[in-house]
Amino acid sequence: MKDVKKFRRNMRISLGLFVALFVMLIVYLGYSVVTYGEKWFATPYNPRVQRAVENVSAGDILDRSGVKLAWTQDGKRSYSGDKTTRLAMSHVVGDIYGKSVGAETIFAKYLYGLDKDLLARFQDARRGREDEGNDITLTADSALSQYIYKNMNGKKGAVVVLNYKTGEVLASVSLPAFDPNTVGTKEPADTALVDRAVMGRYPPGSIMKIVTAAAAIEDDVDLKYTCTGSEIIAGQKVTCVHAHGELTLKEAFAHSCNTYFANLAVKLGGQRLKEKAEAFGFNDKFNFQDMSLYASNFEVSAEDGDVAWAGIGQYNDLITPMHAAMLAGAVANDGVMMQPRLLRDVALGGYSAYNFTPRQYRRVMSASTARVLREYMREVVKSGTGTSAAVKGATMYGKTGTAEFVEKGETKNHSWFVGFIDDDDHPYAISVIFEGAGFGSRYAAPMAAKVMKRAIS
Amino acid sequence: MTLRHKSAAAILFFQMLFILPAFALLSLRDGAFEPLTLIAGAVLVLFNLLQYNLLRTAFRHIDRFSLLAAQFLWSLGLVVLYRLSPDYGLKQFAFLLVGTLAMVVAMLLIRKSRDFGRWNWVFMALTLLLLASTLVLGRSTYGARNWIRIGSFSFQPSELAKVLFVIVSAYFLSTRHRLLSFIPYLAFTAVCVLLLVAEKDLGAGLLIALGFLVMFFAATGRVLLTGVGLGVLGAGAWGSYHLFAHVRTRVEVWQDPWSSYQDQGYQIVQGLMALASGGLLGVGLGRGMPGAIPARHTDYIFTVIGEEFGIIVGILTIAFYLVFIVRGILIALHARSVYDAILVFGCTAMLSLQSFIIIGGVIKLIPLTGVTMPFVSYGGTSILASMIQLGIIEGVAEKNGRADEEEVELMGGESL
Repeated sequence: MKDVKKFRRNMRISLGLFVALFVMLIVYLGYSVVTYGEKWFATPYNPRVQRAVENVSAGDILDRSGVKLAWTQDGKRSYSGDKTTRLAMSHVVGDIYGKSVGAETIFAKYLYGLDKDLLARFQDARRGREDEGNDITLTADSALSQYIYKNMNGKKGAVVVLNYKTGEVLASVSLPAFDPNTVGTKEPADTALVDRAVMGRYPPGSIMKIVTAAAAIEDDVDLKYTCTGSEIIAGQKVTCVHAHGELTLKEAFAHSCNTYFANLAVKLGGQRLKEKAEAFGFNDKFNFQDMSLYASNFEVSAEDGDVAWAGIGQYNDLITPMHAAMLAGAVANDGVMMQPRLLRDVALGGYSAYNFTPRQYRRVMSASTARVLREYMREVVKSGTGTSAAVKGATMYGKTGTAEFVEKGETKNHSWFVGFIDDDDHPYAISVIFEGAGFGSRYAAPMAAKVMKRAIS
Repeated sequence: MTLRHKSAAAILFFQMLFILPAFALLSLRDGAFEPLTLIAGAVLVLFNLLQYNLLRTAFRHIDRFSLLAAQFLWSLGLVVLYRLSPDYGLKQFAFLLVGTLAMVVAMLLIRKSRDFGRWNWVFMALTLLLLASTLVLGRSTYGARNWIRIGSFSFQPSELAKVLFVIVSAYFLSTRHRLLSFIPYLAFTAVCVLLLVAEKDLGAGLLIALGFLVMFFAATGRVLLTGVGLGVLGAGAWGSYHLFAHVRTRVEVWQDPWSSYQDQGYQIVQGLMALASGGLLGVGLGRGMPGAIPARHTDYIFTVIGEEFGIIVGILTIAFYLVFIVRGILIALHARSVYDAILVFGCTAMLSLQSFIIIGGVIKLIPLTGVTMPFVSYGGTSILASMIQLGIIEGVAEKNGRADEEEVELMGGESL
């Protein structure tokens, strides 16, 4: 040992290191349990939930107007007597076997009374209702969902309606649906258990132009451009339905001109686009309390051709219908995207034990950008590709999308529409997708009009 | 001094306040009153009091706070183990008695620490023998070949090898100066780590490698060389990630345990669920469901604490380790010989790294590698090793105190 002083100093440094490590343990432990605890707990694999399912009489699940969607009678879980309601609400409500991810799983903590604190447990024990869970009220409207379900006519896809000011999900319908009554006994058809609204990751197609346009408005970029119907950009051929001629950004948006936006995307640059897309929530894992929303995807490569495609919602772009509705809602809500919510209330022995307060996801663009985008989206419905989405008696805004995908060697199109209505009493945003149906303007847009009309009536 | 004494007594008192109600709750668990459980709790309280007082009388200068922190940790461990199965609790208590004896022996031996150097080669040979023995005689549990069974008695040689490693390190690091003379020590460390990796006992391997780096850095002050060592460790980790499927699995499971919750990710997922269900205040002693958590009484005991006592007590447990670390380093700083200082520093470093590796693994901060939680986890060898390390720390504290006393007397003052 040469230098005892140095040795002492090094020991003190090591002490600092150890203290830092342990502080990290404490901080991470607290952070992770507070942030992810609910997710970790509410899985069907949790033996605590499984035990509760066997021993506790689960509470009722009600829709926003008090319609009973699920209840327990004599130890048996029953679902709405109306088959259409059962199917329309199947993904939102879920099933007790945990085969789908719905309220039965996500809100198990409340339904089985696992959230009760010491005082509540004590009171319950006195009243002799120890093995009873709590009733929950969802934000969803079963009548509206049923209407949507019927009008989707068995076509594969999803429709989401939400309140863009509060984030409340009014309807989230996914087809094909399943019957919760028979989940345990009969294997449901095909991919029926998958909730397409939150787990279906589709290429967004032209609805992505909302993001590209937002970046262009912020950067004050407006191309002088004449569309000739097709153009080769960095070796990749981008085509339009027909030649749009000379266009401004607003006109290109209204008529969904691909070549214009492909050029715009290249001009803005891949990194800028990615930055804006991520501001809108792409590539985020969305740790939302009320649902397991899958991440939307946006990436670019160094190739201009890929950037061009990414800017018009192809390449490797993917979005869920729920996120698409949130995106339209953010335009309506002056640039603030709200967190989607499914739980409205929890009734604990007669009184409410849940305080619903809207939660912001984040501000995704400035209010002024949002206002310009609103005009663009209004133009789409007024004179552009989305005229079939017009709703009598309300001002509809929107964007159509026709997203190409290849299935078994055959090129098909997803039909998309996202939009909102400007109505203080009904601040609703919507997203509609029909898998492989064709043009957004022909299938998704009219459906959106129908649903909105019903939603405000 | 008197003030310190009072605060120590207060901590002891609060410790009793925790143990007795905990055992009272456990005694009422199955609806009927079980007096034996309450007696077990009373015995633990008596044991702690008696141990504290006897040690204080026999060794006037031991560090009270280290001892009390350790007492809290093993008492918490005993409550949880008794709750999991009274059999675990009783056996652990027996280990603790033997451990206390080992601790006292270590404290007495440390008086003659000057002579340890003569035995260095024996210690080295013994360490390697212990580590190599599992390759020949070992039995696998949880994928690692780190147990030896002799009759009905089984033990984990790597636990004792850790303590021996610190003793060997202290000798080399206090006597060698030139870089070349470190070569036998470096080779020895490398062989130890490689043996542990070969046995798939990644946790112990990581512990020895990190413990070596910290000790080497503190004692030699060679930052560059420590950096190189860290690089070698990183390269080794990277290499084994690409070479061995079981290492790859660990890392993948760490990143996303949920996608393989039924097989590889099962333990981590079960642990996280337990922590989540406990929340801040816990569900209450005996009300949790630790039954599904693998290794709940050993490596994963922290999740049981988290579920039933809540995150707050979990954090408190981590804080007690912190007390232990801070006191340990203070004793090392105060030591009269470099050898003793490195010995105490090494034991403190090993204990803190070990607790960090397991708690960090359980809460998914770092990839999970199985080591026990010092003083808390069930296990004879684990308790024995932790107690010997505590004994080394306390032994040096005692020596420090005596040296202080002598100095005061030399100066003609009165001893405190």
